[in-house]
This record gives sequence, structure tokens and C-alpha cells, in this order.
Amino acid sequence: MTELLFALSIGLLFGIGVFQLLRRDLIKAAIGFAILFSAINLFFVAAGAFEGEFAPYVSNVEAGRQTSDPLIQALILTAIVVSFGSFSLVLGFVNIISRRYNTIDSNDLNKLKH
Amino acid sequence: MELAIISAVPFCLSLFLASPIARKSLNKPLQTVLSSAIMAVLFASLLSMFPQLRNEGAIIQSFDWMPSLGISLSFYLDGLSLLFAMIVTGVGALIFFYAGYYFDEAEEHNRFMVWLSAFAGAMLALVLSGNLLMMFVAWELTSVTSFILIGFKGATDAAAREGAFKALFVTGAGALALIIGLVMLSVAAGQILYPEQDFRIVADLGSILQATSLHQHDWYMLFSLLIMLGGFTKSAQFPFHFWLPGAMSAPTPASAYLHSATMVKAGIYLFARLSPVMHQNDLWTSLLLTVGLVTMLVGSYFAVKQGDLKGLLAYSTVSKLGAIVALIGLPDQSGLKAAFVGIIAHAFYKSALFLVAGTIDHAAGTRAINRLGGLRGKMPVMFWVTVISALSMAGAPFLLGFVAKETLLDAMLHHSGQWTQLLMVMVLASTIFTAMAGYMLIYDVFLKRPQKRLHIHRPSPWIGLGPALLALGSLALGFLLEPLIVPLLELAVPKSFELHLFTGFNELFFLSLTILLAGLLLFLLRRRVIRLITFPLSCDAFYREFIAYLEWAGTTVLHTQSGFVRYYLVIILGAVAAVVIASSTLFTLTAGQQLLPTDLSVTIIDLAKIFMLFLTVAAGLMTVVLREHVKAAIAYGVIGYAIGVIFLINHAPDVALVQLLVETMATVLIIIMLGRIRADVRIRVINSLWTGRHDHRLGLLRDLGISIVIGTAVFVFSLIALQNRPQRHSVAAWHLENSKAVGTDDVVGAIVADFRGTDTLLEIAVFTTAALGVLTLLARGRRSGGTLAPKAAQTGVLHEFDSQVVDEIQDATSLSTPFTRSVSFIVLPIAILIGMAQILYGGNGPGDGFTAGVTIGLAVSLWYVVLGYSEAKKLLPWFRPELIIRLGLFVAIANALFPLLIGGEFMGHVAFDQALGIYDFVGSFGLHVTSSLIFEIAIAITVMGGLGIIIEAIAYPTERQQESMASPETRQSDA
Repeated sequence: MTELLFALSIGLLFGIGVFQLLRRDLIKAAIGFAILFSAINLFFVAAGAFEGEFAPYVSNVEAGRQTSDPLIQALILTAIVVSFGSFSLVLGFVNIISRRYNTIDSNDLNKLKH
Repeated sequence: MELAIISAVPFCLSLFLASPIARKSLNKPLQTVLSSAIMAVLFASLLSMFPQLRNEGAIIQSFDWMPSLGISLSFYLDGLSLLFAMIVTGVGALIFFYAGYYFDEAEEHNRFMVWLSAFAGAMLALVLSGNLLMMFVAWELTSVTSFILIGFKGATDAAAREGAFKALFVTGAGALALIIGLVMLSVAAGQILYPEQDFRIVADLGSILQATSLHQHDWYMLFSLLIMLGGFTKSAQFPFHFWLPGAMSAPTPASAYLHSATMVKAGIYLFARLSPVMHQNDLWTSLLLTVGLVTMLVGSYFAVKQGDLKGLLAYSTVSKLGAIVALIGLPDQSGLKAAFVGIIAHAFYKSALFLVAGTIDHAAGTRAINRLGGLRGKMPVMFWVTVISALSMAGAPFLLGFVAKETLLDAMLHHSGQWTQLLMVMVLASTIFTAMAGYMLIYDVFLKRPQKRLHIHRPSPWIGLGPALLALGSLALGFLLEPLIVPLLELAVPKSFELHLFTGFNELFFLSLTILLAGLLLFLLRRRVIRLITFPLSCDAFYREFIAYLEWAGTTVLHTQSGFVRYYLVIILGAVAAVVIASSTLFTLTAGQQLLPTDLSVTIIDLAKIFMLFLTVAAGLMTVVLREHVKAAIAYGVIGYAIGVIFLINHAPDVALVQLLVETMATVLIIIMLGRIRADVRIRVINSLWTGRHDHRLGLLRDLGISIVIGTAVFVFSLIALQNRPQRHSVAAWHLENSKAVGTDDVVGAIVADFRGTDTLLEIAVFTTAALGVLTLLARGRRSGGTLAPKAAQTGVLHEFDSQVVDEIQDATSLSTPFTRSVSFIVLPIAILIGMAQILYGGNGPGDGFTAGVTIGLAVSLWYVVLGYSEAKKLLPWFRPELIIRLGLFVAIANALFPLLIGGEFMGHVAFDQALGIYDFVGSFGLHVTSSLIFEIAIAITVMGGLGIIIEAIAYPTERQQESMASPETRQSDA
């Protein structure tokens, strides 16, 4: 049951992210970018190899309890920090664009050609 | 091992010369002596391997790299490699020394030497490599360094840029053919050597030379043509020879070294290297012979026509390269002896002549042959060097070049193939032109009376050392054939042979004399002869046509570009959507899958998850619907928090903690940044978004369509992925069982800091890079006193740094009430304490280096929000993100490298507390001092520094934007 709902939410979030990414408003586009990251992280946590009732600690394992998948969590941990880094880079781009061209409307920016 | 070190040394030299240590503390003479001495030492160490080679035949040293693909880091030294490697290092030592006196400016000299030594490393790796694919890498490295050296003066000299591009274009195109040829050859060798295996790549030189039936392989024609194409372009064979004269815009030491003695011989090395397994086929021999002869003739024919001294030398090099290629192409490898003698002789005389040309250019300020003259009295050393070298080139008796010419004629006369007469005519014509060019060098440059008085600026006498030694080689080695040259050649030439300086008054000797006299005759008649020289077909013109066509095609394609960033995104994502629809992947994937849940029961935990998922999606929709940026940003924050809670419910406390902290940070960052963008700019885009133009509705539908298709695809993919999750038997279970050895309770922490530590190391490096990217974007140019001061206005939008403006902004935007100030003052030390606790005790509960770094970073960012940039900067003098980030990365890398020192592996686990005998002591505080702990500390420091850089760069006030600060929506966020 939850699998279906997770997949549905991931799909919806992804769609929303793509839609936002396509906005003329660069701030909305930046938010869309971040939503895509969130959707991916959400996918990862749902896609762990197994579910468990307890956090992945050695003490829990030794007590014979069913823990959740630690590997995927380590991967998400890395992904969160890296995606934050790229998100701040995107914000930096938006910031420099607004300073240099005095706009945050991507339709005003057609300098890529020259 | 020795061979690996030998080919690594020049690269290390290059890096060292590029480092600030060398640039600041070593002056030009010291750098010259050092680099030249290093090359001489390499020469000597290669020489010292000679006895071993003589006993064993070949030295192979191999390190596995990608064994499944047949790629190894492998070194192979036999007679052939030794010959080339000794030229690279020996000639290199003299030219490195010469370069020290060629350049006047120390900075220019240093930059040149950095690239020249990098080239020397690449060339050594090429000739010493024992693996074809590794050899290809070195091959390309020589092309790249050659490009840089040809274009060395490219900043001011358009010809240098053009020459560099031409060389890279031709040799690069050839290299593309070469790599395909080499891979095919390796696969073919695998089929021959391991017929029982389906597919195996054999790229090791030692093995390939065993595959003697290569010439019967089905693919032989294709791969031999491709390999020859690679060699022809590199060694400037007709019709690709035109790049070499263009490469003469390089500084002369580079021309002498790369474009005469070493790099252009790479193609020849390749031919000689593969000749044992390739020469049994007529295609190989006849093509090498034909192309080589034509090149030989064309090169010498054009050489005498050149008005530029270096141009003459370049074309005569082309000619000599052609002669060597033709010799390698003689049937039954009968020309190899002559080819190798030719290579040695050419290295001596041509390098010397180039160095003389460079000295003259330097001293007289011109290389035009008709302006030069009468230099004999002014440059006696150069004169005698030229006399010896040019005569050696012409093949005058008893110089080294004479031996080369005799062996060449001998091989051509007595080879077993057909067409001997035609062949001899071409060879004779070419050698006569070469002799003529030799006389011209001596007479026109040094003896004839110059048209105008030349102004000579006398160079340092040391500049003559290299050319003089080379000329001495040309002079003396002819008499030292038996002790020096013959033993070397015996290793490189497969058959037994004889080599003598003087073979008696036989037909060869008289042929040689005839050539010299005929050359003299042509030289005397040169005014008329040169006028007759024309050639209907210009390869260079063809090349220009081709490039012009390419540019035309480029301009045409450019018409399809709109230049709007968003347009490209629409195309890319639209294409993805179109592919998803057109391929009907979704239907094939879902066919036969049980996708809908059978079990509809819902636990109470599930209900919580469902609620959070609902919240996520709803907040996502809110980011679309909410017009104002601040509200959208906060809605985005809600998504992050809801996902954080989902992590928590899914028993991932570490991830949840990081997610919540990072999400807070991201939201804060958006809001800080919104304050940096002028309100009218933002209001304009908000209005245009919702009032729209006439195409608005259509665009909206298009974007909706794209997002729905992509969203659906992601939905289906994740549904399939989630329904088919692997169960217990994954590698994750291993981590659970083995984490105890790391000494932490938290398995996720153990994975991050230990099992997959290299990942994490790279990840913090990526994060640092992103942070530095933000810094470079927002604080371009000047920095003063550790603060980020932006460059003065360029576009009228950027405003100059002005402390008064900053203060005004502070006044207008101040969040700084006594209450908020005291909160932020209290929060920072607490955050530092929490951070330290998370690092030290992270092993036993949620929290680790990341969370510690982000926690402290958040507290610092609170200061920036509350107090504003300048006051926060003033009150936190110790918070220097650039230094912090350096410290963090340094600790991380040192910690990763430390195990190597004590015999462990990179990023290995070290239990410091046990080693130091303080295990029980620190254990009583619940601590374990291990390499993981140190790594966690390094992560925390790096993340903190990276965040600090991002906050400082984004929070830095650059505009007068009081009105934007006072805009309603920002107020709301403040409240």
C-alpha cells in the first residue's frame, strides 16, 4: 500500500519540479530544482533493500532486532549534502543574473547565443 | 619500478616548476641547471640498464590497472624503446639547458619549462609504455603539450594560434583513427592468442609481439590502415605534412625538441614497434614505402624554397621523416638499420641546426634567409656548429650523417622488392635537394654579404653549449660507431648487420660524392632553380578550405539557436518526454507486473507516512500556486521538513537530522538571497508570470504536458522499483554485521566515515567546489583583508563596495533588536557545543560530522541574518571560511593518507587509542579515537567552512536596495 503512495508522491513531486524548472521566474525554477532533489531523496529512502522496525545500530543488531537498510541511508546522507551544494550554486547563479542583467525573468536572457 | 619512476620524473619536475616554491625561490639559472641535470640523470639511468637489456632482451614492468579490459600500467624497455628514450632524455638535457638562455624573461621561461618537461614525461611514457592503450594516452598527451607549446606566444601572435590549432587538428584526427585501429588490433591479438575465449583484449606489447599471425587476420586491412593514418599524421607524412611548418611558431627550443627530435618521431616509433608483426603484409610495406618516399621528395623539394630559416629546417625534417618511414617500409625489415642510424644522425644535426636558428633569431631579430648573412665573424661557435651539422645533413664524408646516407642508399639499392629504379630516382633527387639546403644554410646565413647591416645583440656564451655538444656528436660519432652505436643498434635491429664508417671506394661512396656535387651545382644555380619550383597541389589550402567549410556549417547550425536558456531546457525535457511516449517503455515495463497492492491493510505508522506524503505533495503544489517568492520558499521548506519526518518514521534518524538541518539552511539561504534581489525586479517577473502575454496559455499547456509525462514516467519507474526491492540478501546486511569493528554503534556513521570513506572524501570535495563556485560567482575579482569585496561596477548594475552603503542597509533592514541579538549570541556557543557532542558521541546516536558542520553553520548564518554582513563579520573574526575549508580538507586528506605510511591502505581504519595505549582512558568518557573520528571532525570543519563561504557570498550586500528590503513580502518573512 505505502509503496504505491510513495511512488505516486515521487511522481507528483517530480512532475511539479519539472514544471517549476520550466518557469520563466528563475526563483521558481531554482525551487523546482530543489524539489527534484527532494523527490530523488524520497525515492532512495523508499527503495532501501529492506525495511525494519529499528534504526541501524550495532546494539539493535546484536539484540536481534530488525533494522532498516543502512547503506541507502549513507547514500542519502551524501546526496543531501551534495544537492545542497549544487542548490546553493543555483542560487548563486540567480543572484549574479539579477545583479548583472537586472532581471530574474529568463525570457529576458537570450545572451547564450553570443 | 625503475621505468615507472623514470617516466614519472619529468611530470614531477613539471609540477615542481609550476609550484610557487620553484617560481619564487629558484631563479632562472638554477631552474635551468636543475631541469637539465634531471634529464641527464634519466639518460644515465637508462644507459645503466643496457647490460641487463643485453642479457634479457626486454625489461617488462607491469602494474594491473583495468585487467578486465586488458589495460595495465605497463612499461616495456627493449632496444627500440631504449634508443628513443635516450634521444628524449639526452637531447632533452641539452635543449633544457639551451632554453635557459633562450628566454630573457624568467616568468616566460618558467612557464615554458613547465610544459616542456610535461611533454618530456609524455614522450618518455610513450616510448617506454608496454601497453598499446597506455601508449595512446601518452600519444595524446604529447599532442596536447605540443599544442600548448606551439601556441605559447598565442596571446599576441595569431600565427601561433593558427599553427597550434592546425597541429592539434591534424594529429588529433589521426589519433582518433589510431585508437580505433589499436583497439581492433588488441581484439584481434586476443582472438589469435586466446582462441578459446570469446572476447579478450590483449594490449600488452609483449603479448602482441607474440601474435605473429596478425597479418592474416580478417581485420588486418582496416586496422593497419587506421594505425598508419595515426602514424602518418603524427610524423607529418604527405599529405598531412603541412602542420609541421605551421608548428614553427613555437619557441625554438620546442621546435628543436618536439618538432624535430622527438614527438614527430612517435609515428616512426609506432611503425618500428609494430613492424615485427605487421610487415609480412604487402599493404603495410608498400604504403609505408610509397608515402615515405613521396614525403621525402616533397619535403626536400619545398625546403630549398623556404625564405624562413625555421621553415627550411621544418621541411627538411619532413623529408627525413619520410626517408625513415620509407626505410621501415622496405620488405623484410631490411631497412631498419638504416632507419635507426638515420634517426640518431638526424637527432644530432637537426637539433643543433634548430638551436642555431633560434640563437640567430634571438640575436639578429629575424629568421628571413635573404636578410641574414655575414654572421661568421660575429658568431663563430654557431658558424662551426652549422658547418658540421649542415654537412652532416648533406651527407658529407665522414660525419655521422654520411653513415646515415650510405646506409640509406645501400638499403634502397639492395632491397628485394620491385621498382628499384624509380625508387632510386626519388631518393637521389631528394638527397640532392637536401645537400643543396645544407649548403644554403652555411653560405646564405653565415658567409654571404647581408643586404642591410644587421644589428646583432650578442647572446650569452652558454647558449652555445648545447649546439656545440650536438655538433660534436655529429663529428665524432662517425668514428665511434663500433663502441657506441653498434651495441645499441644490435639490440634494436632484429637481424645481424655490419656498420662501418668507410666501406671502401665502392659504388655507394661514388654515389654519395655525386649527390654532394650535384647538390653543389644546384646550389650555384639556385636563383634559377628555386624559381622553377612549384607544386600544383597545396595541402594547406585544402585544409583551409575544409576549416572554412566547417565554420560555415557551424554558422548555419547556429541559426537554429534562440539563445533563450529556457528554450533549451524545454527542448531537452520535451525530448525526454517524447522518447518516453514514442518508445512506449511504460507499457512494456508494466506488462505482466503486479503493480497494484493486494494488501490494503494500513497500520498506524503507515497512516503517519501517508499524511506526510500528502503534506509533501500539497506543499509542492503550493510552491507552484503561491505567487510571492517568500511564500513559495516557505512551502518548499515544508516539503523538506515533511521528508525529514518520513526519514524519521522509516527508522533513519541520522538522515532525518541532516535533512531537517540542511532544509532549514536551504530555506534560510533562499530568503537571504531574496533580500539581495531588488523588489521591483521580482515584482515584475511575478506580474508577467500571471498576467502573461498572448502565447502564455500555449506555453503553460506545453510545460504541463512535459511535466505530466515525465512525472508519470518517474511514477511508473519508482513503482516498479519499489515493488521489486531486493530483500535481506543485499550488501547492506554485510555492513550491519561488520560495523562493530569500526568501533561505533551507528552503522550509517560507520559507512560514511569508514566503509565508504572515499566516497565521503570526494563528496566533501564536491561540496567545497560548489561553495567555491558560489564564491567565484558572487565575489569576482578583488578580495581584501579576508573579506569578500566585489569588483567595481561594470554594467551599471553592480555597485561599488562602499562601507557607507553597507551601513545604510544595516539601518534600513535591521532585524537587530536586543532580543534577536541576544538569541543569536546564545545560539552560537550552544551550536558549537552540540556540534562537538555530535562528532564525539555521534557513534552512539544520530548526528555526525555533517550535522555538526551544518548546526554550527546555521548558527553563524543566524548572525548574518540578525546582525547583517558587516557587523557579523566584525564580531566573528575567527570565522574565516577560506581558512576553515582548507584546514578541513587538509585534515581529511592527511587522515586518508596516514594509513599508507604505516603500511595500510588508503583510507584504512586506524585505531589510534589502542595504538597509543589510551583506549581505556578515553573509553571511560565513551570515546573511541580512531581514524573515523578524525575523519568526522574533518567533515564537520569542511562543511562548516563551505557553508560559511556560501553564506558570506550570498549575504554580502552589493546593492542599494532599501526599498526591496522594505517590501511587503520580505517583511512577512521577517515576521
